[in-house]
Amino acid sequence: MDDVTPKLVECFQIVFPDLNASKIPTASQDTLAEWDSVAAITLVNVIEEQFGIEMDLDDVAELDSFDKVRAYLQRRGQPA
Amino acid sequence: MKITEALRIVQGTPADAPPFNVTLACGFTPLHLHTFLHAHLQVALPKRAVRIKEGLFGDLCGTLEKVGECDGVVVVIEWPDLDARLDYRNAGAWGRETVASVVEHATLALDRIKAALGRIPSGTPVALALPSSPLPPIFSAPGWQASEAELLLNSTLLHFAAELARDSRVRVVSAERLAQESPWESRFDLKSDLKAGLPYTVAHADHVAELLAKVLVPPAPKKGIISDLDDTMWKGIVGDEGPENVHWDLHGDSQMHGLYQKLLGSLSDNGTLVGIASKNDPAVVAKTFERPDMILRSEQVFPIDASWNAKSGAVKRILETWNIAADSVIFVDDSPMELAEVAAQHPGIECVLFPKDDPVACLQMLWQLRDLCGKDKVSSDDLLRLASIRQGAAFREQAEGGSAPEAFLEQAQAIVTFDFSAAGEPRTLELVNKTNQFNLNGRRWAPADWHRETSGERSITVAVAYEDKFGPLGTIAVAKSQFAGDRLLVDTWVMSCRAFSRRVEHQTLRLLFETSGAEEIEFCFEPTAKNGPTQEFFASLIGETPKMAFRLRKSQFEQNCPALYHEVRELKKAEAHG
Repeated sequence: MDDVTPKLVECFQIVFPDLNASKIPTASQDTLAEWDSVAAITLVNVIEEQFGIEMDLDDVAELDSFDKVRAYLQRRGQPA
Repeated sequence: MKITEALRIVQGTPADAPPFNVTLACGFTPLHLHTFLHAHLQVALPKRAVRIKEGLFGDLCGTLEKVGECDGVVVVIEWPDLDARLDYRNAGAWGRETVASVVEHATLALDRIKAALGRIPSGTPVALALPSSPLPPIFSAPGWQASEAELLLNSTLLHFAAELARDSRVRVVSAERLAQESPWESRFDLKSDLKAGLPYTVAHADHVAELLAKVLVPPAPKKGIISDLDDTMWKGIVGDEGPENVHWDLHGDSQMHGLYQKLLGSLSDNGTLVGIASKNDPAVVAKTFERPDMILRSEQVFPIDASWNAKSGAVKRILETWNIAADSVIFVDDSPMELAEVAAQHPGIECVLFPKDDPVACLQMLWQLRDLCGKDKVSSDDLLRLASIRQGAAFREQAEGGSAPEAFLEQAQAIVTFDFSAAGEPRTLELVNKTNQFNLNGRRWAPADWHRETSGERSITVAVAYEDKFGPLGTIAVAKSQFAGDRLLVDTWVMSCRAFSRRVEHQTLRLLFETSGAEEIEFCFEPTAKNGPTQEFFASLIGETPKMAFRLRKSQFEQNCPALYHEVRELKKAEAHG
């Protein structure tokens, strides 16, 4: 497993505490009703804290699935 | 607090705890403010399940106008709530005419907010934060100059807040403290405002929420300060240098000691007890307190315990005189060793170092003391506290002296006043929520619940005040009861430990029997770790220590009630309402 995934799973668990851990890797805004615009911003802030990075709100709209967020973080080369 | 920590606290809210319902009224998307407010309130109220209800986006007034029964209301005003043209998201123009009417619109909006706040159910506390994000560059003057319109806008806002602060329910967040904790440059996030309707950075949302939570659910203020003298109350060692050669002024390069005396005097005037624990000759100390330039006056201090023994012993005697626990008290000394000695003997006491050579640290210490002892409102009982402690000491001295206790009580010229209209007085609920030793069951009440329950037609709530020839003790007891068939059900009964040994509890019971006409009273009694004196009192009436709720017949009470010598006065509801 890469370095990003476990930490990102933890972020999802913090923001979506009712989501079963096994379903996190396949989570997306289409499959998860709780993942609304408010949760999306909260998720960004939690990721910023946990990964020690700053994210641009412009990117948030495109980060609509676990896979896309993980790919984004891997591109950013996190964790440091 | 980080957002991750806040979310974990929110998710850890105890599901089965009694709820603490809060309405959050603001015009913007509260998002993190909501999360942080929930988390800070949950930390302050670990035994409650905090629940926060929001209103509609952009409709602060509408939310306020719909507030129903709840435990608290949090209002966060931002510039767009006063005039939409102050909203970065608004498309309106910023011309000269606009600027001229902004103040006028803001005044109308604030009037509407004030009216909506006035309709919030009585007894519900309100925490209010004024705008804390920057105004847009709408005014004609350059940014370094305050224009007339900007000053008028701020003046209108401050006038509005000052008027609301007079209302005992409303508490306003200090803009100055917020500025210290959340600098201007890190408050506002324009991108977040434009994209999500949230103007606050995460850090600023946390700071605002923390202060709002403190304002809504203030920590219990410390009841007393015990202070050292040499190099703390004044500069110098009075035993070596003499009373005339210690200083607390600019001339003696010791102004910080003077400021400390000013603060202690101010706290004493507002009901904080101030005592002295000093390794000194008592006569020398007394002579120093006689100096006319002493800022802290001897009548503001009680007791002064000066001896050559360990300070922990002096602290113990002072705590006994005040009859309060160490965790309600602050001990101030310039010596880390003395602080450690006292801390070791009195767990829970808050030990504060007087940083005699560091003015910056000294000012921080003064603010620390103000924060720990500060009160939202100063009650008439706060003003009586020191006098009543002196009264208690004189009472005990005489009671333990020559005359027999019975004769002493008979000659005390005691007056007990029962006030049936005081259920809504802040002091009444304060006494209920902070009294431990004489407390029927340890139950604490949220203001809204208290107000609702004491407003019922079949409810009898009485506040009891006491005075005798040694002076007044103020309001010292509260009993809340209601009729249950032909008997009276007492579910709350507290009495300050300052009033022990005066048979006020017996007089209160007699009054409850007489007022209600009941032949039997049921007490919702529960033993707690601290209500031993209550258990002993009931044991004296029923012949055994109760373990749970029990009933007491009038005949049983009369059989076991000792002689009562008080003059009894009653203030009925009707009298109080004119």
